[in-house]
Amino acid sequence: MVGKDCVAIACDLRLGLQALTVSNNFPKIFQYGDVLLGLTGLATDVATVSDLFRYKVNMYRLREERNIAPSTFANLVSSSLYERRFGPYFVSPVVAGLDQKTGKPFICGFDSIGCIDFAKDFIVSGTATEQLFGMCESLWEPDMVRLDLDFRTLFPPGIFFYMMILLKNGQLNHDVECSTIMHIICTSDLNFTNASYQSTFATGFDEFFANNLNLLDDLQCPEDLFETISQALLNAVDRDALSGWGAHVYIIEKDKVTKRLLKGRQD
Amino acid sequence: MCTDHGCASFIDKAYRCDQPEWAMPHQAEARLRVDEPHEDQLLERPTHLQHTKQPFPGYHQKMEVLLGITGKDFTIVASSKAAMRGATILKAQDVKQRQLNKSSLLAYSGEAGDTVQFAEYIQANTQLYSMRNEADLSPSAIAHFVRGELATSLRSRKPYNVNLLLGGLDPITLKPSLYWLDYLASLAPVPYAAHGYAQYYCLSILDKHHNPDIDLETGIKLLNMCTDELKRRMPIDFKGMTVKAVTKDGVIDIDFDDDKVVKSA
Amino acid sequence: MDTLVARYSRPTYDETVTEDMEEELLDPVASGLSLKFAMPPVAQPSSWLRSATDDRMNPDCPIKIAHGTTTLAFRFQGGIIVATDSRATSGDWIASQTVKKVIEINDKMLGTMAGGAADCQYWLAWLGMQCRLHELRHKRRISVAAASKILANLVYSYKNMGLSMGTMCAGVTKEEGPALYYIDSDGTRLAGNLFCVGSGQTFAYGVLDAEYKYDLSVEDALALGSRSILAATHRDAYSGGFINLYHVKEQGWEKHGFSDTNPIFWKTKLEKGEFTNVTSELV
Repeated sequence: MVGKDCVAIACDLRLGLQALTVSNNFPKIFQYGDVLLGLTGLATDVATVSDLFRYKVNMYRLREERNIAPSTFANLVSSSLYERRFGPYFVSPVVAGLDQKTGKPFICGFDSIGCIDFAKDFIVSGTATEQLFGMCESLWEPDMVRLDLDFRTLFPPGIFFYMMILLKNGQLNHDVECSTIMHIICTSDLNFTNASYQSTFATGFDEFFANNLNLLDDLQCPEDLFETISQALLNAVDRDALSGWGAHVYIIEKDKVTKRLLKGRQD
Repeated sequence: MCTDHGCASFIDKAYRCDQPEWAMPHQAEARLRVDEPHEDQLLERPTHLQHTKQPFPGYHQKMEVLLGITGKDFTIVASSKAAMRGATILKAQDVKQRQLNKSSLLAYSGEAGDTVQFAEYIQANTQLYSMRNEADLSPSAIAHFVRGELATSLRSRKPYNVNLLLGGLDPITLKPSLYWLDYLASLAPVPYAAHGYAQYYCLSILDKHHNPDIDLETGIKLLNMCTDELKRRMPIDFKGMTVKAVTKDGVIDIDFDDDKVVKSA
Repeated sequence: MDTLVARYSRPTYDETVTEDMEEELLDPVASGLSLKFAMPPVAQPSSWLRSATDDRMNPDCPIKIAHGTTTLAFRFQGGIIVATDSRATSGDWIASQTVKKVIEINDKMLGTMAGGAADCQYWLAWLGMQCRLHELRHKRRISVAAASKILANLVYSYKNMGLSMGTMCAGVTKEEGPALYYIDSDGTRLAGNLFCVGSGQTFAYGVLDAEYKYDLSVEDALALGSRSILAATHRDAYSGGFINLYHVKEQGWEKHGFSDTNPIFWKTKLEKGEFTNVTSELV
């Protein structure tokens, strides 16, 4: 999944024989330098294909004396899979990474014989694809950021009110409880100078939003992307009998890759 | 994620059979009829004496019991003693295990012939490695070697149909390990494992009672709980278990009471 | 004999009962509902139905019937424990996580559902009606044996028509004590101490058999029932959701919650040190 100057890739942890769960610690994401590869499908081919690319990427690095770029890797995956056109590996790979020069997010998916599907939003694969498409289509927005609005400074706790912020491209409607910090996920072109807001309590808002304007300088893009991809994956696998049992999430930024374990439902 | 292609949605119907036919292109269903007989099958079958009858092909393979349990400083590997062909138990003292080197043990089940051939091939190669290098392969190294061999065989003309459990103790760190491998060459490192129908009865018991810090005695008690349940619920007599354990002193045989009568609830 | 007794002990206000209605009342299969099901206009309705609904034989079948379940019931000194999961799947799709698989036939007797959800729901509700009619006719509660036999006879009359149910009837009566029967759509009817039914049955049997004793305390019995369902929801992909727990006593059944497996699972793992195969640390 693509965020603002970052990408994320996530997988569940189940290995099963039809209804039987054999292992619940079977990650399907593999790291090759700065590029990450997710593999779903037949478990044996996941292992075979990930080993094959580890070999090929290592050989590439020895020859070229640099890490492989995501787009180069995507083409390597494509041609390697097509080599097995008449006896394919039963996998649907997903590639995620940041362009080495421009830092632009790169994601793509493949079918089992190497047709590349480039995307600028998200790629899904595996047994829960329908559910994932639904989740991603509804949660994903371009250039997502997370705003943390601390309403505790505005009113004493226990007060509830309804808030509406008008934005350049729509509006945000929220029920707010004043004892909490509210996380709003919205697009980064949200501009408070142009935004107007209404609520049952009119006083104090001008000052409040003026104070929060500097939030825009401190965008939490990777955090928001993490939230979005995790919610998408966990809620999708909760509607699929054959996947779940925990998840791994990788967030790739310009200078670091963060890996997290998600505690999922174990049924 | 599945280890068998029966549930992978993108796999064509042509592959929904026990033996994958890898040579056939799966995208070409429009041109090739799925049920068209293979060239070999068109040849007339030679007359031969019927020497075996299999009322439930495949079923008795799943009735074979393989169990593995790791603990604090050991790995127990156990296998059922019955060698079955069709409706007959050919032998009641069969040992479906091969010791690979000082600190690893392989248990196998599956297609008759394939099992022993494959296990002995792996045994010979690990022993060759030990002789050449004067060092044993670690269980993890063997597991990946076995997976590689099985994966290559899977896409050959005649794949081995073998399910394996590989138990061992790392010769340097002395950490116990257990690897679960099926005939499709799916590999999973696990704290406890089983193959065949035994999986369906034993894994829930082990989920409840297993702990990574148990000693060998507790491990055997756990194994007893599992075999008791199998005796209670499995429709055939598997003739007891051959039980071995890999410990820091190498592979040891463990006395196991096969004659215990288990009463059903 | 019953007919005679019924004739002479009929209360006065019931004078209007006609001969027809009495016939209907005495024939359990014909009473109340019409039980005339519309049949598809083909030569072999049952095989036609099978080809349209059996997703094991034909994964692309147009109608996917909800199945995949773990249910269990066992007899012990304090009565009967009945426990089920709550997941309904059609294919790999989780259709619901909040299915009530224990059916309250009446306030003394419980039935469980596995197999076709609609089949179980309909016929157990129907069984409830038959039990009530029995009470009205005979002025005493029906025995569990009789109730289960009514159901078994009914499903047997529809054998090979595509009914799919695996059910248990549990009740405690003065005459029988705690009584438990297993009935399935093949026509099997078995009395027993302990049954698990559904795709997760083996996992539940594993945990249950290991610690089952007839003289379990009520508290231990409830815990064991719930833990067995938890084991099955963990290993079986088609079981999950909530644990529905009941205790049947002579005075009637008592509900012991409809609780989400997720917090129970993590509590069991962290407090009792079970499920060590599930990672809680990132490696």
